[in-house]
Amino acid sequence: MTETGHFALVLAFALSLVQVALPLLGARTGDARLMAVGRPVAITCFAMTALAFAALVSAYMLSDFSVVNVFENSHSQKPMLYKITGTWGNHEGSMLLWVLILTLFGALVAAFGRNLPATLQATVLSVQGMVGVAFFLFILMTSNPFARLSPAPIEGRDLNPILQDVGLAIHPPLLYLGYVGFSICFSFAVAALIEGRIDAAWARWVRPWTLVAWIFLTGGIAMGSFWAYYELGWGGFWFWDPVENASFMPWLAGTALLHSAIVMEKRGALKIWTLLLSILAFSLSLLGTFLVRSGVLTSVHAFASDPSRGVFILAILVFFIGGALALFAWRAQALAPGGLFHPISREGALVLNNLFLSTATATVLVGTLYPLAIEAVTGDKISVGEPFFNLTFGPVFAVLLVAVPFGPLLAWKRGDVLAVAQRLSVAFALAALAGILALLFLDKNAALAALGVGLAFWLIFGALTDLAMRAGIGKVAPKAALRRLMGLPRSAHGTALAHLGLGLSTLGVIAVVTLQTETILTMKPGETVDVAGYTLRFEALNPHRGPNYTEDQGVFPVFDADGSQIATIISSKRLYTARRMPTTEAGIETLILSQLYVSLGDETDDGGIVVRIWWKPLVTLIWLGALVMMIGGTLSLADRRLRVGAPARPKKAGHAAATT
Amino acid sequence: MTRKQKRLSIIAGALGFLGAATALTFYALGQKTSYFYMPADIAEAAVPPGQRVRLGGLVEDGSVMRGQGSRVTFAVADGENRVPVVYVGLLPDLFREGQGVVTEGTFDAGGTFVADSVLAKHDENYMPKEVADSLKEQGVWQHAQE
Amino acid sequence: MMVFWLILALLTIAASLAVLLPLARPPRSHAPAAAHDLEVYRDQLAEIGRDRQRGLIGESEAEEARAEIGRRMIKLEATRIAAAPRTSMLVPIVTACSVLGVPLLSWGVYTAIGSPDLPAQPLAQRLEKDPRDNTLDELVARAESHIRANPQDGRGWNVLAPIYLRMNRSGDAAVAYRNAIRLLGSDPARETGLGEALFAEAGGIVTKEAADAFRRALAAGGDINPKARFYLATAQAQDGRLEDAITALTSLQNDLPQSSPWRGVIGEALARAQAELGTPAPVAGGPSRDDVEAAAQMNAEDRAAMIETMVASLDQRLRDNPADAEGWRRLVRSYSVLGRKDDARQALERGLKALGPESEAGQELRDFAGTLGLGAVE
Repeated sequence: MTETGHFALVLAFALSLVQVALPLLGARTGDARLMAVGRPVAITCFAMTALAFAALVSAYMLSDFSVVNVFENSHSQKPMLYKITGTWGNHEGSMLLWVLILTLFGALVAAFGRNLPATLQATVLSVQGMVGVAFFLFILMTSNPFARLSPAPIEGRDLNPILQDVGLAIHPPLLYLGYVGFSICFSFAVAALIEGRIDAAWARWVRPWTLVAWIFLTGGIAMGSFWAYYELGWGGFWFWDPVENASFMPWLAGTALLHSAIVMEKRGALKIWTLLLSILAFSLSLLGTFLVRSGVLTSVHAFASDPSRGVFILAILVFFIGGALALFAWRAQALAPGGLFHPISREGALVLNNLFLSTATATVLVGTLYPLAIEAVTGDKISVGEPFFNLTFGPVFAVLLVAVPFGPLLAWKRGDVLAVAQRLSVAFALAALAGILALLFLDKNAALAALGVGLAFWLIFGALTDLAMRAGIGKVAPKAALRRLMGLPRSAHGTALAHLGLGLSTLGVIAVVTLQTETILTMKPGETVDVAGYTLRFEALNPHRGPNYTEDQGVFPVFDADGSQIATIISSKRLYTARRMPTTEAGIETLILSQLYVSLGDETDDGGIVVRIWWKPLVTLIWLGALVMMIGGTLSLADRRLRVGAPARPKKAGHAAATT
Repeated sequence: MTRKQKRLSIIAGALGFLGAATALTFYALGQKTSYFYMPADIAEAAVPPGQRVRLGGLVEDGSVMRGQGSRVTFAVADGENRVPVVYVGLLPDLFREGQGVVTEGTFDAGGTFVADSVLAKHDENYMPKEVADSLKEQGVWQHAQE
Repeated sequence: MMVFWLILALLTIAASLAVLLPLARPPRSHAPAAAHDLEVYRDQLAEIGRDRQRGLIGESEAEEARAEIGRRMIKLEATRIAAAPRTSMLVPIVTACSVLGVPLLSWGVYTAIGSPDLPAQPLAQRLEKDPRDNTLDELVARAESHIRANPQDGRGWNVLAPIYLRMNRSGDAAVAYRNAIRLLGSDPARETGLGEALFAEAGGIVTKEAADAFRRALAAGGDINPKARFYLATAQAQDGRLEDAITALTSLQNDLPQSSPWRGVIGEALARAQAELGTPAPVAGGPSRDDVEAAAQMNAEDRAAMIETMVASLDQRLRDNPADAEGWRRLVRSYSVLGRKDDARQALERGLKALGPESEAGQELRDFAGTLGLGAVE
């Protein structure tokens, strides 16, 4: 099975070479037969990669330690779930997952791209194949997951315990689906540049792919943040770690792309900008892959560092980003320019959105690359962390958030800001009320918290106002309004939900940043502590044995103000036996939307233990909001207008193929 | 306003915004980033009290003292120089004497480093890159591996 | 094996067919690009109609939008010029390369980097085969999988523990001894074994934990237990209490029969301790200040001597059992720590020879030596 997988991987590489050559040649010469090769080859290429991936997964499941990759990252004692997820918990396996998803998207374009002009589809598949060739080469030359060991060791070295978590089962695949999903937008953009033709229809063809990538990337980032929150035991949800930034930048650029593609589709404007954004979104994904995989950065994500790999990925990065931008510089002038439009209008608002989002992306990019640049130039080592991003990304994004509710309410072509402001007055009043209530009831950090809470509710009520106005609530009878609300296009619901989700996430972030409390103390069994109106008692430290670790579990019953027990938090310090590595498993109890977070420290000489307890108000909203955003995106994706049919095929074969 | 004036004002607005964002970024780069020092660097460069820096090195053997509650004092050393550090909070899982560590915080007037965050290496193979590089330069790396 | 090659052949055929079939089929006609655009614009028109019906946009807005889409459609008509298919010399060449390339390239690359002769080796299957064919490692793994399924089997732990110790897996040995003691109760052999495992785990230092284990072993009574007493004496020597160590060793020597294999080791240790103390048996009047200082200094040497013997025994063991990459690494490091660069280099050379200079383990050993400042050896 293992060697079959290895061979399938090599076959997939050979097929991706064909996928580059024949469809492109066909599209350039107008040869329908050559173009037709693209689709079955893309699908077979995916099938072969899937076979290779399945072979690696099965090697992990069966603990085949004759495979170096399995030996280095697995252990026979590991629970089955972590054996499987361990497949992509390491450099080689995760790169295989990367190309699996890349070929998956190629296959999807092949299978569902019937509405695309044949030459465009062929060119897109070809460009997608080029990316594939580069990464297949990378895997086969520097990171082959199928390298073998003989004689096979009898036991593996185990996966880094931090990575033994359900979060790992979901986080990387989601993130990669997002990252790599933007490769399709990239391929569409490069194909448009090669064809020298781009129009409003192009935007509609790209949009569903952008949406798919965006939905998964949103999920991947949220999952990663949630994972870091409960697994690393520091109770933080975002660290502005370069690796996190690497996934955040494509998200920001992708969000901008999502919005600019609307303008292009509706008004035929912003063509060149949209092309550029498509290229940039994937370039930032590649940059992220480079930063994580090259070993330039050390973090939990950098599984292994090997300079030859870094150089290889850097070469891929330079080739694709440089090549695409050069092509852009050369061909973009030749494209028909888009139309002009009035600044106060929906499209104007969307341009504003793009301005803010790209500026925000730029600040994150600077903050991420600056330390690397400084170290390369002067040798000084500096760290750019939260204070930097609070000062730069913070205000830019805050202004963007203020502007969000206006966008969907403005009309296309010519909007009336005053009329929109009037319609938003209720939302504004409610948001102000929320802010004032926050100011009255909470005294800590009050001004900032109140402003933030107001901003979050402004987004939430703004999104609801959008729906209410479209449904005509207040103008027509409630029954009719409800019917109209249900009958709205799904994309309208999608927009409103996505903006609502953004508001919920903002509320969660603001609440945690400004209102969380932290208590650090030494507790002995039987002692109690009051946190945010709850009482925690430290009952005992019990030894416990897991499948591949031993741990000391601290047991903390939680009592509410009346003194009745509402929950028991178990927080533990774990020791993974194979690597002799300790980890902290935080104990978390969700109380409505807020959480109590308990982390254990060292034992003191007098029999106590250092305990760190956080009260995280509304923290779950951060991720629930992301979930709502994803649902909004999915609704938009389901909108009928993104499913334009293919034109009827001309009856006579042969001649029609000649027309371009 | 004519069409042209309108467009100009919009472009000016956008440029103004970009300019402000750029200025803010440069200001933040100057103010909000922290330099990374080893104890030997600290001895040379006088870091004014109150300026945020990162301090990295090895936790000196025998220097870790637990005080009241979760207050911990220890010293960060690089073979020649040592810097006393005070930290209140939970130490990371892999914080051990003789192991690599990166702390972030400020110096007080007495030359003690008051850390507000302490990072230890993530696993047996991981040493904060900054620390590893500097130690290699100073030739204590072999010692550090023992 | 035949099946394996058959699968490879089938996969190759499938992949080649994906390229060949579309080329062999007569080209299916496809609509011109403009027709696809038109489809999108028609849909946009329909959407405006729907929005108008729902009252989401006003009539004038809808008209304007329709007019704009209409203009796009007219523009599209202008681009509907049929371009004649261009013929290119490249087409037949590239097509032929592609068709041939899939099987040739895949088999070429695979034979270069693959290991077709290595069958998959799932762990369960390896453990199920006839025990007589098992290597020692596999036997241990079998015992481990048994103990994993029955972690309360004290006898299993008891069997496994000394094997671990002999395999230099001191950490596992300590765990196994602890479990055996927990389940079967303390006895001198297990406690001694635990102490020994902890001693090895600590890199040749008798830690407090190890000393406690040895003490428990002695407290349980029974025979003389020279091992536990020897290690306790070693602990005293390591603490710098040389006189106590000498006393303990002397009494141990007296208790042992003449034929005991321990006598040699004890004699050596005794001699070393006495040498370090300088003059045997201090004279009355107490040591002078100089003596104290000298003793303190010799104490360090004592430790060095301790380490020297340990290194020598490691060296000897590697001569008997050279296929121990971890052991070689330790030996090289030990020599290098002791400052015996030449010996370290020699050990490196021997290790490379034993492990195979091109093998992965050899490579690792060389890299490791590099970090210690030992250059590559020729």
